Amino acid sequence: DAGAQARQGQAASPRGPTQDEAAAGAEETVKIICLGDSAVGKSKLLERFLLDGFRPQQLSTFALTLYKHRARVDGQAVLVDFWDTAGQERFQSMHASYYHKAHACIMVFDVQRKVTYKNLNSWYKELREFRPEIPCIVVANKIDADMKVTQKSFNFARKFGLPFYFVSAADGTNVVKLFNDAIKLAVAYKQNSGDFMDEVMRELESFDLQKESETLSDKEESCPEEKLPSA
Amino acid sequence: MTYVAKKCGVCFQPPSIILIYKDDSEDKTRQRIMPVRNFSKFSDCSMAAEQLKNNPRHKAYLEGVSLRQLQKLYSLLKGHLRGESLAESLEKFQEEETIDPEEDMNKLDDKELAKRKSIMDELFEKNRKKRDDPDFIYDIEVEFPQDEQLESCGWDVESGEEI
Repeated sequence: DAGAQARQGQAASPRGPTQDEAAAGAEETVKIICLGDSAVGKSKLLERFLLDGFRPQQLSTFALTLYKHRARVDGQAVLVDFWDTAGQERFQSMHASYYHKAHACIMVFDVQRKVTYKNLNSWYKELREFRPEIPCIVVANKIDADMKVTQKSFNFARKFGLPFYFVSAADGTNVVKLFNDAIKLAVAYKQNSGDFMDEVMRELESFDLQKESETLSDKEESCPEEKLPSA
Repeated sequence: MTYVAKKCGVCFQPPSIILIYKDDSEDKTRQRIMPVRNFSKFSDCSMAAEQLKNNPRHKAYLEGVSLRQLQKLYSLLKGHLRGESLAESLEKFQEEETIDPEEDMNKLDDKELAKRKSIMDELFEKNRKKRDDPDFIYDIEVEFPQDEQLESCGWDVESGEEI
């Protein structure tokens, strides 16, 4: 019921529900980023999961596509922002904003192309520089091209203790499971975040809000964390 | 009325694109010959393919034929006009259409990347289960246990790691 949801929302957010949250019925919002080389099938996986339910919002300057999705986790309404990012190197300078406040990561490689598997190392390294603690799922895509790969071991995920999924955006194998699990992980992370940086961020935010309400007339400096212009 | 494309090919003499199709309303297989005009060994195959696909007279018939296939047929014709044998043209294709698994596509520009993607899309489309397919299932879960006994993918060996 709404009351329980509101209480849950309150519990999850140390600064208490803002007006926006109250209006949205204490909906939890999580951000999930998709990483991986060019042409490993990140967008196709998202499209398979969402079917054509939601039209993505394209920000071509940032080589970024945003998909919004509404889900339910343990009875709670969750609004999910999927950030689908381009793998091309020339967009590397934009990465900081991809990672900013992400709650989970889906890291994809193409079972047909060794180089995309090898590059997981650098994607993972970068992810951990920005988000040391968020859940990360490793995804082997395109198994429809060669089912034999599912009989082989890929050690990258085991090495870092990460969940690993064999999927196919073409025939749909494990796609829905992947995204639903990622959403659950993201919500769990947000609600029980042990990430020190996250705690700091929250402190800063509530500090900002307090100051703003105290000195409404004062023009505050814009938040330095905001890397993307609000579209 | 819908036409179901069955086969599409090219004829060198006279130059034409030929479609074998079925008319939805009758149980009969038909052939449509679309003459190729104003096409030389210097012509642009993608442009020619697009023009044919959008041609008001042929459009409805070619709905089930991919732009890529039409491009391919035009380049076979182009090869012929240049004096290549069919075998030579086909071999060239093979080279152009294979993905180099070692290539780092993060370094490609948009145009080159789009080219690779369209090659890979062919397999994707072939294996794709679409939403309106009668046997489409939204949530398909298959377990692939990753235990220690499995044979290695061979990609985990770090070259020169110990140095």
